[in-house]
Amino acid sequence: MPGATITEKIVSRAMGRKALAGDLIEALPVDKLYFNEVIGPPAILNFEKDFEDVYTESGKKLQVFNPSRIAFMPDHTVPSCSIKVSQGIRLMADFAKDQGIAMYKEGDGIEHTIASEEAFVLPGEIAVATDSHTCTQGALGSLAFGIGTTEGENLLATGELYSFTVPETINIKVNGKFQRGVYAKDLVLHILGVMGEGGASKRVAEYTGPTIDSLDMEGRFTICNLSVEMSARTAIMNPDSKTFTYVNEALARRKMAMTEEMRGMAARSDPDATFSKTVEVDASSIEPTVSLPHSPANAKPVSQVTDPINSVFLGSCANARESDLTIAAKILKGRKVSPNTNLLVIPASRRVYNWAMDNGLLKIFADAGANIESSNCGPCFGKHMGILAPGDRCLSTSNRNYKGRMGSPEAFIYLGSPAVAAATAIEGRIADPRKYLPAGES
Amino acid sequence: MQMRGRVAKRFEDDINTDYIIPAYLLQESWDKQFFADHAFEGFDPTFGPTCRANKESIVVAGNNFGCGSSREQAVYAIKYNNVVAVVAQSFPDIFFRNCLNNGLLPIQILDTSGISIGNDLVVDLDSRSLRDNTAGISYPIIATDAAIEQMKRGGFLGVVRERLRQKLKAQQTRASS
Repeated sequence: MPGATITEKIVSRAMGRKALAGDLIEALPVDKLYFNEVIGPPAILNFEKDFEDVYTESGKKLQVFNPSRIAFMPDHTVPSCSIKVSQGIRLMADFAKDQGIAMYKEGDGIEHTIASEEAFVLPGEIAVATDSHTCTQGALGSLAFGIGTTEGENLLATGELYSFTVPETINIKVNGKFQRGVYAKDLVLHILGVMGEGGASKRVAEYTGPTIDSLDMEGRFTICNLSVEMSARTAIMNPDSKTFTYVNEALARRKMAMTEEMRGMAARSDPDATFSKTVEVDASSIEPTVSLPHSPANAKPVSQVTDPINSVFLGSCANARESDLTIAAKILKGRKVSPNTNLLVIPASRRVYNWAMDNGLLKIFADAGANIESSNCGPCFGKHMGILAPGDRCLSTSNRNYKGRMGSPEAFIYLGSPAVAAATAIEGRIADPRKYLPAGES
Repeated sequence: MQMRGRVAKRFEDDINTDYIIPAYLLQESWDKQFFADHAFEGFDPTFGPTCRANKESIVVAGNNFGCGSSREQAVYAIKYNNVVAVVAQSFPDIFFRNCLNNGLLPIQILDTSGISIGNDLVVDLDSRSLRDNTAGISYPIIATDAAIEQMKRGGFLGVVRERLRQKLKAQQTRASS
């Protein structure tokens, strides 16, 4: 009997029986469920419309399956940018209060950042949310993926996902040490280039190897975050001492501690687990990388690109945590943003924002001439804060450069690391960050 | 069970849900028809009128149709323009499940390149075949038994309501014992 992947082990734990890739699970119990303000309001309205009579028949009031396993995180266009958005957030807040669900405030952060920073999602858990970048939580060793509105309303009622096929796993094995100026973002853009937009369809991308082991948690979140751009069912990494240190610190901020039960849920793939495919990547050969318009998989070494850029966005659930802002601040310190370019900085959470303020990073960005906004998804969602006009060229640290993603379909979006973003903001064109890195900085 | 329609639109590979329905509209309505009125806005504004010209339309695409964002509004944008099925060479999971949940048939076949706009197609879920009446060709539908069953059922709502009923009953039994 071959060993099991982490994905198979997590599903087996949830089902209380052995589950293998390819198995059809009729009802999969979910450990954590979170909603943003885009899908939360219609999911709540549909939940009330489709299930209220079932509760009434049973002599019960409308009641979600378990409020402590649900969280609401308004993040996409906050502070609210329209009357309808405000109505949606109020609807969520009223429902949360009535049902006893945790409701975060506008500006507390991007859902996928809060979910890990607040230890809402834990290693070994099954977590779903109404957003495709839920796969970010895979860095914790949780099985996490996006769902639509209807699955959201079903989950509110029963806490279960129906007709779930245990996915096969692609092992993406990364060896080698990063060159100077290369970060997790460059690695994942390179991998997207190798795999293509549909390259991991229906399968879990499991990242293994010494390079992944050597990455900090923030780099791991970035890699898992972008894995949906190769259509992976989700991404996952095997929890290690860095994972547990991260989760322990997150729990400690909430005056909690890891219990035996929490620890016991964490799983790792067996050495003889079955993968549908193994892809070997040599990290030492990768240069700082950008993805050109209009596909995240359109990856090129930054040294081959010098296109002019008039808008730079440092933010999003992909790249706006502490280490991301730190490297950008090191490059921007004492320098000015190009007169032809706008730089927008949006920290990924209120905690990151306040940390950046306490540590002088916000002053560095402000002195360089950046616009700094409270935490939200910003222009990556294409609805507010720096919408692109026809002909605009934007370098973004986010995850999608589809035509029209950040505004006009006639704009051009490039994806890159926070280091590339900072260097590009200085030069007003796509720029190699290596020349700006302080001596001794990797 | 059969569904018949005319091919109204053809798309290439990797059509993402941002192209199908742009993000700036998602929070502006809780009405499914609203998204149909804005389908492919900025990408192919002829989508709605062309699909609505038939009583039952079918959309044909290459690989990986519906990739990217999980927004279910992309399914509403297609379905509520008289589209009964999307025929493609592959679908990413989230979009595929969103289709099943809304009774829009996501039909996977090996090669869609021979199907032209205007062709008359019949989806036969029992024989698991897609028949192109115009070209006189039949294609086997690639699908799991579970997916075929869900396509026939038109979604999960009935199943979930029954499951909730059982759960509430079990709670009551526990409470009274």
